[in-house]
Amino acid sequence: MSANEFLVLYVCVLCTMLACRCIPLFVLRGRELSPRVKEAIGLIPSAAFAALVANDLFRPGAFETGILEGLVPFAAAVPVLIVARKTGSLIWSALVGMCAYALLLLF
Amino acid sequence: MSRSVGAGGTRHVLAASLRAAVPVMLGYVVIGFPCGLMEDSIGFSPLQCFLLSSTFYSGAGQFMIPNMWLAGAPLYSIIASVSFVNTRQVLYSAAFSPFFSGVGKVLSFLFSATVTDESFGVNMDRFQTDGGWTALHGLFVNLFCMFTWASANAVGCALGAVLDLPLAITSFAMTAIFICLLAGQKMTRQTAVVMAVSAAGVAFCKLVGLGGPAILLGAVAGVIAGMFVKPGGGESA
Repeated sequence: MSANEFLVLYVCVLCTMLACRCIPLFVLRGRELSPRVKEAIGLIPSAAFAALVANDLFRPGAFETGILEGLVPFAAAVPVLIVARKTGSLIWSALVGMCAYALLLLF
Repeated sequence: MSRSVGAGGTRHVLAASLRAAVPVMLGYVVIGFPCGLMEDSIGFSPLQCFLLSSTFYSGAGQFMIPNMWLAGAPLYSIIASVSFVNTRQVLYSAAFSPFFSGVGKVLSFLFSATVTDESFGVNMDRFQTDGGWTALHGLFVNLFCMFTWASANAVGCALGAVLDLPLAITSFAMTAIFICLLAGQKMTRQTAVVMAVSAAGVAFCKLVGLGGPAILLGAVAGVIAGMFVKPGGGESA
């Protein structure tokens, strides 16, 4: 990729990213919102976390090599969920997740 | 819901932010190296990697750019696809808005401009559960994570193929962090519906070839479904 191509790419993706990251916060903060809008905003974290987890676990292409291969992330998620509920620790969850995933890939 | 900024002194704010950011920073080190390696494969210099990572700052986007470029995609297509994937940031920004009603414009801009999936998770968790968590705490979390990500990208780009980390395994650290954050959400009948519909929405989008905006569409579907359920009932930690 040439320097000019990099510059065009960089400026364009940076502008759209900043717009997505900043505009909603500036538009909504400090405003008196209706209870329904407040309720909807309050539901975003649960929705976003569930969507992020599902996005990582569910990979349609992974099942092409076999059902068991496609199920590896789901199986690795089980011990993570247990550790997360028991400890609430991000570090322990990450370590257990990587170990479980690595072990499952060995079999 | 505005919070006072700087309570307890900057050093305490920095220390608390660093403690909150460490799990994400460790994950960024192991994922940032291979990302830098991929960027090196399309001719980026370590400086370009650092610049992109510390301003654009998007793991998904930065993995997409080299992949699409190497596949021969035109520049406009890469820009459109990467931008589309990052539209989910709109939701994160909206979710933070109630916590920034009394916060200055500069701090609000710096914070919102440096949010990622992971720092959204860590900060939202703290804003919801820790009454002393301020916008400044959140900004430091974002900056710690951002400079870790940018440095790992630059090092990965500079060292190239010397590093050989199994990306599938290391990237699962981020998945585990999301699972932990999800597990920490207050569970009611309403949030259960939100989570189930969001996850199903993402799976459906990916099945029909809408992988790019899957997170945004799935989460929006979850929020809409949740609005039809009465809040409260069946609450647990």
